[in-house]
Amino acid sequence: MKKILQLTLGIITSVGGFLEIGSVTTSVQAGAQFGYKLLWPIFFGTICLIFLIEMSGRLAAVSRHTIVDAMRERFGFPFFFVVLVGIAIVAFMVLVAELGGIGFALQILTGIGFPWWALPVSFIVWLLMWKGSFSLIENGASLLGLITISFVVAAIKLHPDWSGVASGLLPTMPQSDKARYGFLTVSILGATISPYLMYFYSSGAIEEKWDRSYIVMNRIIAGFGMFFGGFLAMAVLIAAALVFQPKGIQVDTFPQAALVMVTALPKWGFYLFALSMLFACFGAALEFSLAIAYFFAQGFGWNWSEDLEPSKDSRFAFVYTVIILLAAIPLMLGVDPVKVTMISMALTSATLPLAIVPFLFLMNDPIYLGKYRNGWLSNSIVSIVIVISFVLALISIPLQLIGG
Amino acid sequence: MDLVRDVLDKKLIDREDCQMGRVSGLLMHVGENSQPRITHVLIGGDTLWMRVHPAFARLSSKLRRAWGPKRNEAVKIPWSRVVTVGKDVKLDVEAKETGALDWEIWVARNIIERIPGGGSEEEE
Repeated sequence: MKKILQLTLGIITSVGGFLEIGSVTTSVQAGAQFGYKLLWPIFFGTICLIFLIEMSGRLAAVSRHTIVDAMRERFGFPFFFVVLVGIAIVAFMVLVAELGGIGFALQILTGIGFPWWALPVSFIVWLLMWKGSFSLIENGASLLGLITISFVVAAIKLHPDWSGVASGLLPTMPQSDKARYGFLTVSILGATISPYLMYFYSSGAIEEKWDRSYIVMNRIIAGFGMFFGGFLAMAVLIAAALVFQPKGIQVDTFPQAALVMVTALPKWGFYLFALSMLFACFGAALEFSLAIAYFFAQGFGWNWSEDLEPSKDSRFAFVYTVIILLAAIPLMLGVDPVKVTMISMALTSATLPLAIVPFLFLMNDPIYLGKYRNGWLSNSIVSIVIVISFVLALISIPLQLIGG
Repeated sequence: MDLVRDVLDKKLIDREDCQMGRVSGLLMHVGENSQPRITHVLIGGDTLWMRVHPAFARLSSKLRRAWGPKRNEAVKIPWSRVVTVGKDVKLDVEAKETGALDWEIWVARNIIERIPGGGSEEEE
């Protein structure tokens, strides 16, 4: 039973990948402009992420080491330092965007501008990390995140053309706006195949004291969790395609995205959208704050655990305290979280090879994994992700400039 | 044993199974008429940053003089205290007594314990 309950680790991880402000914004923009044509990057990203997350959990369960531990040990401090700088900058930008997403949701609900929410929201996120345990964060965020199922209800109520949806799962090239199409494809993949999710999940497996008996359960958790997130992200895109595309509306601001739910569910849609974004961004903010602190602590060999009193892992607690405080500053100054999230997604794509290439080596290391090393299928998937990650790294920034 | 692959950057665990940092460097004695031998395991300090770039080592040294527990040298653990080398390096020492946790304790006492709910580093 205890193992089944750990499905929540899969759900909270997937919320950070599929339902945070960046994913929802890109899904809505993609659906509004290209209909179902951009369902395939979400579908493809989900398949890749299921494999990557399963491997992250397997590494932790078998070796009792996280990806960051193993990366520092196998590739040395200079390489780790380069990855640390890249990942910390981009993850920090994503954290700013998520805190801004919570602020936006509260702005929709109360009419008070998001900069005013920056400090209280950051304080609540910090307080939960300061006083809460890993299970509280994991279970609380996952349960609250279930409200995002309302996106599926909205998509079904709008009566999509299911054959069109099915054909959207295969890549096609549009007649016009190719740069924009390319930019949105990169953004969706950047928001989905995100290395922080792997770091968070493997750390979560250590927090939950997984061992080899979790190998099968890990597959179920990774598969169910990522499928859950991918399915919801597709529902957002489908609903946006049905609401915006026929009217030729281009979505430029986050509050516009609320129309997706309001059209489908006129009575409750407004509140469901605001609450969905509030809880999803809240879960993602906790996940990214923890992922950054885990990265520092594991890389430098400090004590770390969300279950310890802050003074027992003081450097870990210090890192998340400082980054949450720093993340509130740009929001108080009125920096648009949607712009931050669009840039951070392109940068995530640009830094992806730094995370994925060492991961392939680690997943084939007999010292860490013994007989649980990757087979041909997992290696093929990681190799495909590596090829894609290099292509994304090369084109993400030019596409951001042309199509963003 | 391949020292770079098997020892450098590995997690250090004390006799109470407490994590005490990572191996940032190794000290080697090279005698005229004897084989070179490892004498100490180094934790933290300039050695770590020197591996990235000497400028980082200078910066880390300056910052340490201005702030923190005022330890000038890296923590040195005699190689004779190494018990096993596997996925982690197990040592026959007590982490707190070696100075490896000086920063952890300094941050706890000077910052974290001053925030309500931070607890106390000394409490078991």
